[in-house]
Amino acid sequence: MQLFPCPFCGPRDETEFQFATEAGKALPEPAGDVSADRWAAYLYLKDNPKGVTREVWLHSTCGEFFLMERDTVTHAVIGSRAMGGEA
Amino acid sequence: MASDAVHDSAAKWPVFPDWSGAVIERPGWSGRPVLGLSQVLVSGDFRAALSAHAPTAAEAGLWSIAPTDPIAARIARDRVLLVGSRPLDLPSGWNGTWAASPASDAWFVVDLEGPAVEHVIREGTAADLGASSPSAAILFAGVQAILYRTADRCARLHVESPFGPYLWRWLEARAG
Repeated sequence: MQLFPCPFCGPRDETEFQFATEAGKALPEPAGDVSADRWAAYLYLKDNPKGVTREVWLHSTCGEFFLMERDTVTHAVIGSRAMGGEA
Repeated sequence: MASDAVHDSAAKWPVFPDWSGAVIERPGWSGRPVLGLSQVLVSGDFRAALSAHAPTAAEAGLWSIAPTDPIAARIARDRVLLVGSRPLDLPSGWNGTWAASPASDAWFVVDLEGPAVEHVIREGTAADLGASSPSAAILFAGVQAILYRTADRCARLHVESPFGPYLWRWLEARAG
């Protein structure tokens, strides 16, 4: 069982967390001018880098979305922080 | 269609426990449902709500001891479940910077007591109970739960009401 660090709750079972998206993806705007291909790319395509990556995760028990930096090769968690700059 | 061919789902689930007399006795611990609690979900600036309507309520995080009545179990950065043995006097709905939602029927509550309580709790989660987490919200035995203590060897678990029978069967399966 791997522990993930929620910025508010602290370390918890990995089963309490859900992957949300890769960090840094900008919402295509204005929505009316966004093509279907660009919208699909925003929703479904991910860089999926080998090594260190920054992602948005959800801690389902407290409902907090937060940033987590981790290594996709070693599974090591480098750190996490709240989206609003708290904690 | 013959009557014996009709699918009967009534036997699909175990008999619902009679909570009024339900008890689990095991070496080192016992468990009882806590009936009749008043529970109110307070969201937003919950400290303003507590200051105005429950100034004596102690905040409870994971595995922390909250001997007060009522108890403010912290379940998110901006949310507590206020739990009291007497009816809680909070106006429902939006109140400026915070909101109150009656939740007495939303959560099934069980108290576990005894020197072996921590061992039972550790079977349900791998979270570090000694880490002083400010949040009592946790995944316990696979379901969303709220976990804190009302005394040194008395743990309290809240689970969403539909999971009450499941949690009870899970606890009955613990050997002690």
